Formats: sequence, C-alpha cells, structure tokens
Amino acid sequence: MTDGRQPSGLSGANEGWAVVGTLFAGVVVWGGIGWLIDLWLDTTFVKAIGVLVGLATAIYLVIVKYGNTG
Amino acid sequence: MSASVILASECPPDDPGFCAPSVLEFFPKPLATFDLFGAHFAITRITVILWIATAVMVWFFIAATRNMQLIPGRRQYFAESGYSLVRDGVAREVIGTEGLRFAPYLASLFFFILINNIMGIIPFAQIPPTGRFAFPVVLAAISYILFNWVGIRQQGLGPYFKNNLFPAGVPKLLYVLITPIEFASTFIFRPFTLAVRLFANMLAGHLLLAIFAAGTVYLFTVGNFSVIFGPVSFAMTVIMTFFELLVQVLQAYVFVVLTSTYIAGAMEEAH
Repeated sequence: MTDGRQPSGLSGANEGWAVVGTLFAGVVVWGGIGWLIDLWLDTTFVKAIGVLVGLATAIYLVIVKYGNTG
Repeated sequence: MSASVILASECPPDDPGFCAPSVLEFFPKPLATFDLFGAHFAITRITVILWIATAVMVWFFIAATRNMQLIPGRRQYFAESGYSLVRDGVAREVIGTEGLRFAPYLASLFFFILINNIMGIIPFAQIPPTGRFAFPVVLAAISYILFNWVGIRQQGLGPYFKNNLFPAGVPKLLYVLITPIEFASTFIFRPFTLAVRLFANMLAGHLLLAIFAAGTVYLFTVGNFSVIFGPVSFAMTVIMTFFELLVQVLQAYVFVVLTSTYIAGAMEEAH
C-alpha cells in the first residue's frame, strides 16, 4: 500500500479517516440490512445483531486493509 | 427598533423578542424565476453572489496569464503560486507524476470552492453559495464520476470492481460480509461525505456568524441591561469571522485533497 504520498502535515490522517469511515460504513450497512430484515420478518432484534456483525466485520476489515502487516 | 427589521423576511414584524437566523437564510426571496424544460429556476441573491465570485476568480486567472513574463509581476506571481499549491502540493504529492494531468481540474475545483466559501465573510455578500446543498452535491458528483472513470479506464471494468469490492488477504467466505461494506464505503459514502462535509461546514459557519451578528445588534438595541453583553457578542462575531476564514480555506483544501486521494486510489491498483 503506497501511503508515502501525502501532502506534508497530513501524514496518516488520510488512513485515520479511512479507518473511521470503514467502521462507520460497516455499522451502517449491516445495521441497515438487519433493519430491513426486521421489517421483512417482523422481528425487533435483528437490527442489533446486524450492528454487531457489521462492527465486527468492519474491525476485521480495518485490520486486513490498514493493519501493520500491510 | 428591534433586530427583526434586519431579518425582515423571517421574523414577524411586531415580535419584540430576539429573532434568531435560521436555515431560511439560505432561501432568500427570488429576484427572478423562470421555467425551462419543465424545471423551475429561481435566481436569488445567492445565485448572483456565485456568478460574481466565479467571474472574479476567472478574471483574475485570465488577467494573470495574459502577458506572461519570465520574471513574473505580482499578479502572475500570485496566480502561479496558487496554481502550484494545487499542482505540486496536492496533485503531484498525492497522485504522483500521473497526477499532473488532473491538476487543471483540481485547481479549478479548489479555487471555485475557495472563492465561494470566502463569500461567507465578504461584506455585502456574507453568505457562502456552497452552503446550498446542490452546489457541493454537483461538485462531489463530478469528482465521483471522475475517480470511477479513471479507475475503470486504468484497470478495466472487472478488475476495478474486483479490486475495490474484494480486498486481498481475506478468506473467501468472509466476502459475503465484507463486500457490502466495501461497496457502501467506496461508492456511496465517499461522494456523500464529500458533499455533506463541505455543505455542513459552510451552513454551520454562516449560521454561527449570523447569530452572533444579529445577537450583537439585538443586545445593543433592546434597551435593558443586556447591553453589557453586546460587546461579548461583537467580540465573538469578530473572532468567529477569522475562524470561519480558516474553515473556508481548509474545507476547500480538504475537498481537493480527498478527490486526489480517491483518484490516486483508483489508479494505483494497477500495480
């Protein structure tokens, strides 16, 4: 991953925001899918499961993409 | 005489209380309306501010590059420094030598956003057209189409989506979970946050300045002990004006840097 190319003074900030965005995206996407499943199956708890699954997946994704083995 | 005289379009005329500015600031009375191909257009003072600001910026660059000398005069020097800020400081730094062909677009983007943001603190204008959501949306849409177009052209349609949606180093089963996140993060959140970041900063900054300014007038003219808070409000107006200038320049810069980062990301997967 070529992350040496940044305007000086922004070192790492881009990656930081990408990490935050990924976590947020994970929660929103899978929370949203869980919410839709809730509407479809008339349940109430799938939202929460979706949020947790999304958060876990997003954390895993952050480690894979931005972790220190990269 | 109450503060409501100043904000006449929003406030009931006989209300003795403080009439705070609201988002209605961004919806002034139209100066002219017309319909074209079924779409309704309204020209307001914000539209005129946008035209004037953009015209000033365009005029500046045209005038500065008209009779270019080897040893630059002041106007040419400023224009060259400004362009170099984007071309070398952003395009070349973030994207690399490949990025130089995006420098014209990035520079235009930067200076367009900058001049329109700054209209938020210029007297008599004092409202940033970029605080109307449509303008950041269109700018973000152009950047969005651009970085996707560049990525698809560089890598081919299939490999571009494959590289974006299926990151390497992940067990195949987990792709079910990960791909929706990657899709949303690249193709939905990126343009959305680009637009909203600029819009929200300009909207909030403008409302902040408007409230302090209107508050200053109200506190000085309401006629009771509140007048001792008038200078506080005035000082805040001045301080926030400078802060707002910083935010305006920064948001223009951030928009362009992020666009460059997305372009760089779209191009780099090739190796």
